[in-house]
Amino acid sequence: MFSKRKTKKSTMARKLITVSDMTSIPSEQYRTIRANIKFSQPNRDVRTILVTSSIAGEGKSTNAANIGVVFAQEGKNVLIVDADMRKPTLHHTFYLDNISGLSSVLSRQSTLQEVIQETFVEGVDIISSGAIPPNPTELLASETMTSFLAEVKDLYDIIILDAPPLLFLSDAQILSNKCDGTLLIVNTGVVGKAAVIKSKSILTVSKANILGVILNNYKIKGSTYEYYYGKE
Amino acid sequence: MNEEMTIQSLVKVMLKRWLLILMLTILSIGVALLISYFIQTPIYEAETQILVNQKSYENQQLVGAQNVDTDLRLINTYNVIIKSPVILAKVIEVLVLDTTPEKLMRQIEVSSANNSQVVNIRVQDENSERAVKIANTIAEIFKEEIPVLMHVDNINILFVAQNSEHPVPVKPNKLLNLIIAAITGFSLAMVLAYFLEKIDRTIKTEQDIEVLSLPVIGVVSNIEMPTRKKSRNRGSS
Repeated sequence: MFSKRKTKKSTMARKLITVSDMTSIPSEQYRTIRANIKFSQPNRDVRTILVTSSIAGEGKSTNAANIGVVFAQEGKNVLIVDADMRKPTLHHTFYLDNISGLSSVLSRQSTLQEVIQETFVEGVDIISSGAIPPNPTELLASETMTSFLAEVKDLYDIIILDAPPLLFLSDAQILSNKCDGTLLIVNTGVVGKAAVIKSKSILTVSKANILGVILNNYKIKGSTYEYYYGKE
Repeated sequence: MNEEMTIQSLVKVMLKRWLLILMLTILSIGVALLISYFIQTPIYEAETQILVNQKSYENQQLVGAQNVDTDLRLINTYNVIIKSPVILAKVIEVLVLDTTPEKLMRQIEVSSANNSQVVNIRVQDENSERAVKIANTIAEIFKEEIPVLMHVDNINILFVAQNSEHPVPVKPNKLLNLIIAAITGFSLAMVLAYFLEKIDRTIKTEQDIEVLSLPVIGVVSNIEMPTRKKSRNRGSS
């Protein structure tokens, strides 16, 4: 029943599962994540959330987009920022272009209002990465970035930042310090324990508020989930 | 990791990599079969028995136990003499064998049951007929040589090795080889499986994360169903 429907889905649908199939298992899992984010820090107002991972290809952008969507589905005003200025992909997910974006704001070439793009998902706006700058780390570390975050906080309830991987690049580390909370994506069965430990220590050093880990590509054992949610 | 190697973990590893274990076991059995049938040359065995016994017991005053005792003590000496180059060189000469006494010595096994006056001479050879010939020749030459060497004549050939119409090789022992191969293959596979399990340090379950003292905020299953190619659903970052 499931596989039949999935095969007809486009690239977008697979990535934005929370839009294309709200009753699917992953959609339900994203709603759980949404609830856990809120409950994990009852004493803190977590509004800027950084999504990062140890290495590339663990599903940061996909998770950032879907988490943004589930918050929007709850009625929140959501902004997703592509803070990965080295390999931006967020605009692809939402079928938008990447002419100007975060890098334009940080280099003071554009204003915030100019770079915000509305998406086809209600309640979700995005800021793409913008042109790839030669000095992404410096831009993210700048005071402009801090004031940018303060500015968007006035406009949106939840701001999700899609960051580069933690290991080998300091971008995510810098950003994690500026954000209220950090989510670490772990690609199950691919990333080793040592890499995750290293990522954790990197985040600890930058005094990041680690909200928790999201295990991506998680293999569910047994059919409990399908029994509860699989039927429509 | 300080996980203990328990029966459960072994069984778990076994179930997880049963195919690898099965394949390795079958493979090693196959190799053993191949070696036993095609590479190892079959070895045949022939056995001659000689009896160490004084012919002149009845003529002597002291009969029985003491003489037998002497013979028994001699047997140890005989065992060495049979395998000595003195005898073997002659055997080679008589049979015109293309070998050396040292090599021939390795083909011969001399044994006697405890407190028995019977000495078994076992000869192994690639050729069954030659094995029989060597065994018998050794016995004969030994019988001839002993009066010269020891000044006693107490050797009788009890049993002469016979040529068999359908000689059965004693080596290689195919069944034994197979059993050894199966056990070796299985243990190797288990070690390998356990090793693979140990070196796989990737994170797979929520427990793995909790060990690193990180909170798990959620899990996301494969968005794609397993029927489709895995690589295509990798989230781009």
